[in-house]
Amino acid sequence: MNSFPWLTVLVVLPIFAGSLIFVFPHRGNKVIRWYTILICVLELLLMTYAFSYYFQLDDPLIQLTESYQWINFFDFYWRLGIDGLSIGPILLTGFITTLATLAARPITRDSRLFHFLMLAMYSGQIGLFSSQNLLLFFIMWELELIPVYLLLAMWGGKQRLYSATKFILYTAGSSVFLLMGALGIAFYASNEPTFNFETSANQSYPVTLEILFYIGFLIAFAVKSPIIPLHTWLPDTHGEAHYSTCMLLAGILLKMGAYGLVRINMELLSHAHSIFSSWLIIVGAIQIIYAASTSSGQKNLKKRIAYSSVSHMGFTIIGICSISDMGLNGAILQIISHGFIGAGLFFLSGTSYDRIRLVYLDEMGGMATLMPKIFMMFSILSLASLALPGMSGFFAELVVFFGIITAKKYFLMPKILITFGAAVGTILTPIYLLSMLRQMFYGYKLLNATNSYFFDSGPRELFVSIAILLPVISIGIYPDFVFSLSVDKVEAILSNFFYS
Amino acid sequence: MEHTYQYLWILSFVTLPVPMLIGIGLLLFPVSTKKLHRIWAFPSVLLLSIVMVFSTDLFIQQINSSSIYQYVWSWTINNDFSLEFGYLIDPLTSILLILITTVGILVLVYSDSYMSHDQGYLRFFVYMSFFNTSMLGLVTSSNLIQIYIFWELVGMCSYLLIGFWFTRPSVSNACQKAFVTNRVGDFGLLLGILGLYWLTGSFEFQDLFEIFNNLISNNDNEVHFLFVTLCAFLLFSGAIAKSAQFPLHVWLPDAMEGPTPISALIHAATMVAAGIFLVARLLPLFVVIPYIMKLIALIGIITVLLGATLAFAQKDIKRGLAYSTMSQLGYMMLALGMGSYRAALFHLITHAYSKALLFLGSGSIIHSMEGIVGYSPDKSQNMVLMGGLTKHVPITKIAFLLGTLSLCGIPPLACFWSKDEILNDSLSYSPIFAIIAFSTAGLTAFYMFRVYLLTFEGHLNIYFQNYNGKKNSAFYSISLWGKQRSKMLKRKMRLLPLLTINNNERASFFCFFWKKIYQTGGTVRRMTCPFITINHFGTKRIFSYPQESDNTILFPMLVLVLFTLFIGAIGIPFNQFNQEEMNLDILSKLLIPTLSLLHQNQNESVDWYEFVTNSTFSVSIAYLGIFIASSLYKPIYSSLQNLKFLNLVAKKGPKRILWDKIINVIYDWSYNRGYIDVFYAISLTEGIRRLAELTSFFDRRVIDGITNGVGFTSFFAGEGIKYVGGGRISFYLLLYLFYVLIFLLISSSIFSSFSFL
Repeated sequence: MNSFPWLTVLVVLPIFAGSLIFVFPHRGNKVIRWYTILICVLELLLMTYAFSYYFQLDDPLIQLTESYQWINFFDFYWRLGIDGLSIGPILLTGFITTLATLAARPITRDSRLFHFLMLAMYSGQIGLFSSQNLLLFFIMWELELIPVYLLLAMWGGKQRLYSATKFILYTAGSSVFLLMGALGIAFYASNEPTFNFETSANQSYPVTLEILFYIGFLIAFAVKSPIIPLHTWLPDTHGEAHYSTCMLLAGILLKMGAYGLVRINMELLSHAHSIFSSWLIIVGAIQIIYAASTSSGQKNLKKRIAYSSVSHMGFTIIGICSISDMGLNGAILQIISHGFIGAGLFFLSGTSYDRIRLVYLDEMGGMATLMPKIFMMFSILSLASLALPGMSGFFAELVVFFGIITAKKYFLMPKILITFGAAVGTILTPIYLLSMLRQMFYGYKLLNATNSYFFDSGPRELFVSIAILLPVISIGIYPDFVFSLSVDKVEAILSNFFYS
Repeated sequence: MEHTYQYLWILSFVTLPVPMLIGIGLLLFPVSTKKLHRIWAFPSVLLLSIVMVFSTDLFIQQINSSSIYQYVWSWTINNDFSLEFGYLIDPLTSILLILITTVGILVLVYSDSYMSHDQGYLRFFVYMSFFNTSMLGLVTSSNLIQIYIFWELVGMCSYLLIGFWFTRPSVSNACQKAFVTNRVGDFGLLLGILGLYWLTGSFEFQDLFEIFNNLISNNDNEVHFLFVTLCAFLLFSGAIAKSAQFPLHVWLPDAMEGPTPISALIHAATMVAAGIFLVARLLPLFVVIPYIMKLIALIGIITVLLGATLAFAQKDIKRGLAYSTMSQLGYMMLALGMGSYRAALFHLITHAYSKALLFLGSGSIIHSMEGIVGYSPDKSQNMVLMGGLTKHVPITKIAFLLGTLSLCGIPPLACFWSKDEILNDSLSYSPIFAIIAFSTAGLTAFYMFRVYLLTFEGHLNIYFQNYNGKKNSAFYSISLWGKQRSKMLKRKMRLLPLLTINNNERASFFCFFWKKIYQTGGTVRRMTCPFITINHFGTKRIFSYPQESDNTILFPMLVLVLFTLFIGAIGIPFNQFNQEEMNLDILSKLLIPTLSLLHQNQNESVDWYEFVTNSTFSVSIAYLGIFIASSLYKPIYSSLQNLKFLNLVAKKGPKRILWDKIINVIYDWSYNRGYIDVFYAISLTEGIRRLAELTSFFDRRVIDGITNGVGFTSFFAGEGIKYVGGGRISFYLLLYLFYVLIFLLISSSIFSSFSFL
C-alpha cells in the first residue's frame, strides 16, 4: 500500500486553503471566486485520483487507513479510512460542493468569509465521512454546524435569524446525545476509552445499555436525516438559505444522518437495530406519506422541495431498516441519488427565484415561454425526483421496495402494509411535484412585466444543472456505478444480522 | 436468420439518437438547431422506417415459423438480485412492432406539416421520437421490470405531449391529470410486480407462467390464493389506467388537449393499446384465475357501454373520438376477458388504423377550421361550428367517412371483421354481455355518424349566427342533441340543474327555427329551407371558407385509408373452401404458439352460415344506429323524411314528455361525462387537498408549535430569571427573607410532627 496520507490531505486541504483567503490582497471578488473553485476542483481531482488508484472495490475492509496519535492523554487517534459505505458520500460531497461554489458566484457580500465557510464545510463533510474514530466523528459533526449556521444567518432570506437559530438549536441539541452515546461506547467495559470503530464493532453490550446508546444516536441522526417528528428545522432552513447553501444542505448534510445511522446504529449496535428497525420502518413509511402530503400543502416553493426531501429520505430509512441486502443497497443508492436530485432542484429553484423574485407558488405562472431552458431542466429533475425510470431515483426506490419484499425479518402482512404505504408515496409525489411545475411554468400569466427582466439560463447555470443531471441519468441507466462501490461492504454489515 | 435476431436489441434504440441530438442541440445551441427546423423531421422518419423494414422482416419470419426468441443480458451485478435486460420476439411483439412503426411513420409525416408553423416544432419531434423509442422498448420487453420502465416512460411522453401547448391552463390540468391517473395504475402495476416477485422469484415471463401455474395447481391454500388473485388484480390495474378502462378512464378525454397527431398516435393507436398488450402478454397468468378473467370482461363491458354513452353529447370532435376509443378498447378488454385472444389482437390492429385515420382526419378538419374560427380548441374543434365541410375538404371527407364506416362495423372495412368476431364470442360467453355488446355496436354507429353528419353535412354553422341576430349567445349554443333538444329547452324542463350555464346560453339558431315551425305549421317548413339557402348564398362572398389541407397531411391519411380497407384481410380465412388443412388466416397462423400456450381450442372450422347470420344481425344493428343518427342530425333543409319522423314523435302528447325526460337525462349524463369527473374532483381531489392542508397545518401548528413553544417558554423563563437577577439588593434581601421564612415553616412543621410522634 501507499504511505502517502491521502485522506488527511483531502480533509485538511480545503480548510487550509480556505484560511489563506483571508491573507489575500484586496483584488475584488473575482480572484476569491476563482481561487475557491480551483481548490474545489483540485480536491475533487485528487479524490478521484486517490480512489481510483488506491481503492479496491472488492474489499469490504477499511482502506487507505491512517492513524496518528493525537492526544496521548486519553488515547485519541486521528484515524481516517474509507470503505464501500463512505466512498459514495465522499465523492458526492466533492461533486456537489464544487457545483455549489460554482452556483454561489452571484454572491458578492462578504465573499471572503462566504467562500472560506464553503471550504470549511467541505473539510468537515469529508472528515465526517472518512473518520474511523467515534470522537473524531463527533468533532467533524460539530465542525459542520458552525459554517452552516453562519451561512444561514448571514446570507439567508428575510427570516434567516429565526431559521438559523432553529437549526443550531436542533442540531446542537441533538449532538449532545451523540456525544453521550460516543462517550458511553468509549468508556464501556474498559478502563481506557476506545473510540475506534473497528474495536467497538466487535463489542457486545447488555441489551438495555445497547438500547440506550441506540436511542441516543438515533436522536442525533434523526434530527439530521431527518426523521419525523424532528424534521421541522429543515423546511425553515431550506426556505431561507441561499441556494448554494441549500445544495449543500440537501445534497450532503441530510445524508450525514443516514450515513450515521448505517455506520453507527447498524454496524456498532446491531442487536438494538434489529429490535428498533421494525418500529423505525413504520416511521419511515409514515414519513413518506406524511411529508408528501404536507408538501402538497406548501405554498412556498423551496419549502415544497424541502418537504419532498423529507419524503424521499423516508425511503432511505425503510431501506436501512429492512435489514436486507437489497434494502441497504437501495438506501445507499437513494442517499447518492437524492443528493444529486435534491441539490439540483434547489439550485434550479434558486436560480428561478433570482429572476422572478417570487416565493409563493400561487403568484408565479407562465414562466415556460420566458425561460425555456430552466423549464426543461426543472421538468427533467422533477421527473427524476418522482422516480421516473431511467433516472437514479427510480432505481433507488425500486431496490428499496425489493429490499422490503425480500427482507427475512418481517412477516407477509407487515411487508404488504409497508410496501403499500411506501407505494402510496409514489402517487403523492407526482401530485405535488407536477402541480409545482404547473403553477410555476404553465399558463400564460404575465408577471409584472415592467420591472422584471428575464434571462434564460446562462452557460454557468446550464453547466451546473447538466453536471447534476448527467450522473442522475447515468446511475439510472446503469446503477452498478453505485452498487459496485457498496455491494461488498453491505454484505459485510449484514453478516452481523443473522436470525435464527 | 439467427443473426438478425441477435442484433435486434438495437431495434428499439434506433430512433433514440434523434431526440437526444435535438434535445442537446436545443439546450446548448438553440439558434442553430432551430435554423435547421424541418430538416430534423427527415432523420426521425428515416430511422423509424428502418425499424419498420426490420419489423416487417421479423413479421414475415414469424408467420413462416412462429417461434419465440429471447435474449437476455445481465444488468446489475448485485449478488442475489439479478436484474436482466433483454428482448423477446414473439408474434404479439411482431404485430405490435409493425403497428407502431407504420402508424408512427405516418403520424410523423403528418405532423411535419401539421406542426410546421408551431414554435415548438423541434420539441414536438423530440417527444415523438422518444415516445416511439419507449413504445418499441415496451413491446420488446422480456421481463416485467423492463415493461414497468418503458410503461412509465411512455406515460411521461404522454404527459409531455399533452402538455405541449403549455400556456393554456386547461392543458396544464389535463397533463397533470393524465400523469397522476396513470400513476395510480402504475402504483398497482408496481405492487403487482413486487407481489409476483415475492411469490415466484422471477420477472421473466416464461418462468413466471410456469412457476405460477405450478403454484396454482399444487397449492390450494386459501390465503395464498387470495394473495395471488390480489397480485393479478394489481397487475391488471396498470392496464386499466393505461387503456382508459372504467374507473380510471378520466384522463383520456382530457388528453385531447394535446396536438392532434399525438391523439392519433398515442391516445388512439399505440400507447392506450399498451394496456391491452400487457393483459395479452400476461394472459397465461390471468387465465388460471377465473375471477380475474371475469373481472377483466366486466371492466371491459362497463367501459364499452360507458364510453359509447359518453360519446353522445360531446361538442368537441376529438373528445367524441376519445370516448369512442375508450369504448373500443373496452371491446378488446372484453375479448381478452372472454379468453378470445385472437379477436382482441385483431380488433387492436384494425381499430388502431381506423382510429388513427379518424384522428388524422379530424386533425385535418381542425387545421382547416383554424384559419376561420381562430386557434382556440374551443372553437376549432367545436362541432357546433362545423358542418357542410364536404364541399370544402372533399378528400378529408372521404377518408373520414371510410374511417367512420369502418368503426361502425360496415362489412368490407377492417373493424367489421374484428368487431364481429368479438360479438360472436360474446354470444357464447354470456347473454347479458352479448346484449350489451351488440347494442353498443349500434350506439357506436350512432355516435360516429353523429360526428360525421355534424361535421360534414349541411352548411357551415359558424355563419348561421348571422341569421338569428343574436350573435353573443348563439356562439356555443347550438344544440347538439338533434332538434328536439332545443324544443325541450324552450319548455324549460330542466331535471338536473348541474349545467344551467350551458342551457341559459342555448338561445340557438335551432330554437328560432323551431319556434317558426311550430307557429306556422307544416307548409312553412318547406319554405324555410330555401329561405335559409338563399340567405346563405347571398352572404357567401363575405366569408372565407375552410381549405383542404396540403398534401403532406393528406398522404398519411390516404395510406391509412388503404390500411383501413385491407387490414381486415389478415384475419379472414380466405382459402376456406379450397383445402381442408390450410384454413388458417395469417393472424391465426401467427398466433398458434401463443394460443397453444393458453390451451385454447380454436374453432378450426368457421361455419360460414353462422358467420353470415351473426354478421347480418350486427350489421343491421349498426345500420339502425346510422339511420337514427341521420334522422336526428341530418340537416333540416335537405331531408323531408327526417321531419316526418320527428312529427311522428311530436304528435304523441304525454308520451313525448316522458321521451323528452329520458333524452334529457341521457344528454345530461353524457354531457357531464357521467358525473364521474365531478365525483372524482369532489371526492379525491378535494380529499387530497384537505389532507394536504390538514397535515401542513398539523406540521406547522403542532409539531413546529411544540418546538416554538419550548423556545418561547425558555425565552420567557430566561427573561424572568433576568428580572429576578436584576442586581437590586433590596430584592435579594426580600427573597432571602422569603426563603428563610419558608424554611422555618417547613422545619417547624416537620419538628412538630416528630414531636407528635
